[in-house]
Amino acid sequence: MKPELKPKFIERMHKLLSNDEDFENFNEIIHKPPRNFIRCNTLKISPSILFERLSKKWIVSQPFPEHHEIMLINSDLKPGELGNAIEHLLGYYYIQEISSMMSVLALNPKPNEFILDLCASPGSKTTQIVAGMQNSGTLIANDFKLDRIMILSSNLERCGVTNCIITRNDAINICSRISKTQLRFDKILLDVPCSGEGTLRSSPKTFEMWNENIVHKLSRQQKKFIAFALKCLKPKGTLVYSTCTHSPEENESVIDFALKNFPVKIETLSLPLNCRQGVISWYGDKYSNETLKCCRIYPHDNDSEGFFVSKLTLLEEMK
Amino acid sequence: MNLRFIKSPEKRIITEQLNEQFGIENLPYLLLESGKEKIRAFSGHLSKEEISKISQILNIESIGIYLLRKETHSELRLSFDATHILKNQIKNNIIDINKAQLIEWIRGRDVSINTDKGIKVIKYNSDFLGCGKSSGDRIINHVPKDRRIKK
Repeated sequence: MKPELKPKFIERMHKLLSNDEDFENFNEIIHKPPRNFIRCNTLKISPSILFERLSKKWIVSQPFPEHHEIMLINSDLKPGELGNAIEHLLGYYYIQEISSMMSVLALNPKPNEFILDLCASPGSKTTQIVAGMQNSGTLIANDFKLDRIMILSSNLERCGVTNCIITRNDAINICSRISKTQLRFDKILLDVPCSGEGTLRSSPKTFEMWNENIVHKLSRQQKKFIAFALKCLKPKGTLVYSTCTHSPEENESVIDFALKNFPVKIETLSLPLNCRQGVISWYGDKYSNETLKCCRIYPHDNDSEGFFVSKLTLLEEMK
Repeated sequence: MNLRFIKSPEKRIITEQLNEQFGIENLPYLLLESGKEKIRAFSGHLSKEEISKISQILNIESIGIYLLRKETHSELRLSFDATHILKNQIKNNIIDINKAQLIEWIRGRDVSINTDKGIKVIKYNSDFLGCGKSSGDRIINHVPKDRRIKK
């Protein structure tokens, strides 16, 4: 049965999208299941070898010439077939939605860096970061709940991650403690808990759970997260802020808060998906024009889930 | 997590034992003990001292990857994933299995193979599939439950 969108959600999405046709395209695609993307785990196998192996059982393509590790499975799959394949159990690939790969592409992790992944579980982006680091440097992967840590840990083992320290702390608490020491990171991924409006295709439950109060509550929490996270960054360090939601309160509003209160600048992004500019006004709130540099990924622009990415550089160390 | 770093003399003994069993010559990792007889390996740039300092302010759940377990008679059993990360060094005690045996093995079942007793690395084509313990006529399965193919 087609889940029903709440009137307030429809109103907000109409306001975000440019016209009725744009909204109808959005409304059509969110009721279809997402495509099956995987990411080759280059810590264990090369994209060319994995592609050759998987092509023997599925129709596989590599849609992005500059990112051979990203593969699309075009075959009709049985439920659980991707997760139960031997190549998956051996950690040769990670099942990951294409839009969620964008935050790590924006972060651009390199070997020998010191990186913090603040809300790491279940580990799709964490393992993608480590692939970029080639298991060198150090990644601190943090999450809060023990059950989520168990999933994270299992995924890191499966992918052959050796340079990671898993910590279990509240995100604000961990940043507060780190900021009182000399420890500072080259890069931080802040992929925050959000209202999940972008995940309607894979998780229709979001239709039922969504309400505007949650959006506002999360926005306040996300501003705290970014304020504390920036204190843990080296000068000239990079923080990527991402969500899987469309609501500006959880996206541009958080970036606007950072731009107005901390010594940061926002970077222009170049990602292999169609991105729309960030919004600069929302229900009477005005955001900095710089938030235009944020990247909004809509499901109907890319046949993907919805996502939001922005990249900040810290100009001077925060006290 | 209670941190206990493996000191150089103990690491040398572990490396020698791995060399004797599998031909492994080099462990380019910081080793830590984790739980009963389990050793983890960390390839990050942080030193023991830096990790110890971090452990004083953060609640560390785990470090690096599960590498091996100390079995009885001082034998070492490499973890499922360690056989992969050390595959270029493993030369001895490898059992090449066939397709039918692979299907059994990856489902968590023992496989019937006549070989000498001890810990064996299981391999199918280029895939390293962890270790099993040979009793002489069968290899006891140690594939972790979350890595088995579900029926």
